[in-house]
Amino acid sequence: MSKKIEKITILPGINKFGEKENFEKININKGEVVAIVGHTGAGKTQLLYDLERLAQKDTKSKREILVNDKTPDKELRFNPKRKLIASLAQSMNFFTDMPVGDFLQLHLEARGKKSRQGLIEEVIKEANRITGEAISPEMNLLNLSGGQSRALMISDVANISISPIILIDEIENAGIKKEEAIKILVEEGKIILIVTHDPSLALSADKRIIIRDGGIVKILNTSLKEKGIAHYLNWIGNYGLDIREKIRKGEEIKNIEIYCEPVKSKNNF
Amino acid sequence: MKFIIFAGTPGSGKTSIIKYIIQELKDDFKLFFAKFDCLQTSDDERIAEEYKIPTVKKLAGDLCPDHYTALEIPKIIKENQDKDIIILETAGLCLRCSPYVKEGLGINVLDITSGDPSRYGPILTEADVVAISKGDLISQAEREIFRTKVLKANSEAKIIEVNGFTGEGAIDIVEFIKEASDIKDEKLTLKHSMPSAVCGYCYGNKIIDEKETQKRYLAGKELKNLVPNLNCGKCGFKSCNEFIRAVLDGKAKKERCPFIKKNHK
Repeated sequence: MSKKIEKITILPGINKFGEKENFEKININKGEVVAIVGHTGAGKTQLLYDLERLAQKDTKSKREILVNDKTPDKELRFNPKRKLIASLAQSMNFFTDMPVGDFLQLHLEARGKKSRQGLIEEVIKEANRITGEAISPEMNLLNLSGGQSRALMISDVANISISPIILIDEIENAGIKKEEAIKILVEEGKIILIVTHDPSLALSADKRIIIRDGGIVKILNTSLKEKGIAHYLNWIGNYGLDIREKIRKGEEIKNIEIYCEPVKSKNNF
Repeated sequence: MKFIIFAGTPGSGKTSIIKYIIQELKDDFKLFFAKFDCLQTSDDERIAEEYKIPTVKKLAGDLCPDHYTALEIPKIIKENQDKDIIILETAGLCLRCSPYVKEGLGINVLDITSGDPSRYGPILTEADVVAISKGDLISQAEREIFRTKVLKANSEAKIIEVNGFTGEGAIDIVEFIKEASDIKDEKLTLKHSMPSAVCGYCYGNKIIDEKETQKRYLAGKELKNLVPNLNCGKCGFKSCNEFIRAVLDGKAKKERCPFIKKNHK
């Protein structure tokens, strides 16, 4: 991708009853995080699919996706070297029987990216910010725990994949520090869309899209108060992870230590 | 008439994705679906019932399923002159061959969890479209690595990611099917020759036609009676059958076989 992606735009389509969606357009800018929420079967995954294939009124929903205010080149959809979108889903696993370090090197080569000194170490270091159980380059991919795998996938997507748009399907329950994970992706200037049922993730996004009956029914900007609540919920989640680590080390848990840092700045996802 | 062949290893998701494609096409086109397999299948019946289109079941039994497919193609075409699109699903077993025809559209459904794509032969390298399935089970990094390897094996291929559960990618394949050129009255040709066995195709015939196959078979049989059938390798070929093909293709003189040379001086 030579051209930078600054913005993607969703233009309305129809819901499952064939009624037009009630919004003019949804703009998502570089570095923004958008949550997609709604009941199971409401049509969240369809929206991800529309984004993934840069729908041009040719999917079930009849939505249209613009890139930098323009209709994207058809080539973008089928040339795998120019793919704009990377995705992360709950069901994903590593299948390659290889040490972590070698695997990241292989991915770099597949991407035709020049390796810079220390990049692989950086990817692992960032993954370790997300998981409580440290990953090292010699570990075999197949032996990583669920949390380690997820953390490595996120750090890899942030640092090695060139795709500027990341679609995340259900990141919760993975045993990782979610807030940290999203921060790493945002730092790399990606556009992030998360389908989620997790209140802390939904409330820490910049905006959220609410889906019902196959259609987008509402778009909300996250208030400062909601971000505060998200931060608190996240802290509880991370505290749970810490206790989990302690239990695994054989420690006894005697007290609950209530201490929550306040939200630092507006950029603090 | 368009002639579409789906090939891919068993369990790669061929039938699931074909169902979505039939769903998309059935209202606008007259379809026919042929399912090839070795021993048994009920996919044809399920598709006939679900989508109300005519189908046929073709079981290869003791024959090589790809040879059998090539032998049956002319019959299928002859019996379905009134159709717009024929969709043929192969048994999908062999990495050595593929029954794609030059005049039609060849689609390889490739399971991303099945390992390194460089292991695949013509089933991948000769495909017009490669539909990568099960991408939702594997990491983004491995998907990107896999795509690069697929392109290394077949740089011309159009790559689509498909999902047999949700139908993702099916509409892209439908686009390719609509754009595919029609087959004319001429004979179809295989994109890649079949492995050696016991018929005219075994001796390297690529024209799908009874007479051509028989002609090739008789010529092959004649040579088969002359060679030692010991695969001695003195001619420079790995097996006598390969040597016979080369002679029939005009790429080698039969005197290259020391056995023939000695006996026919």
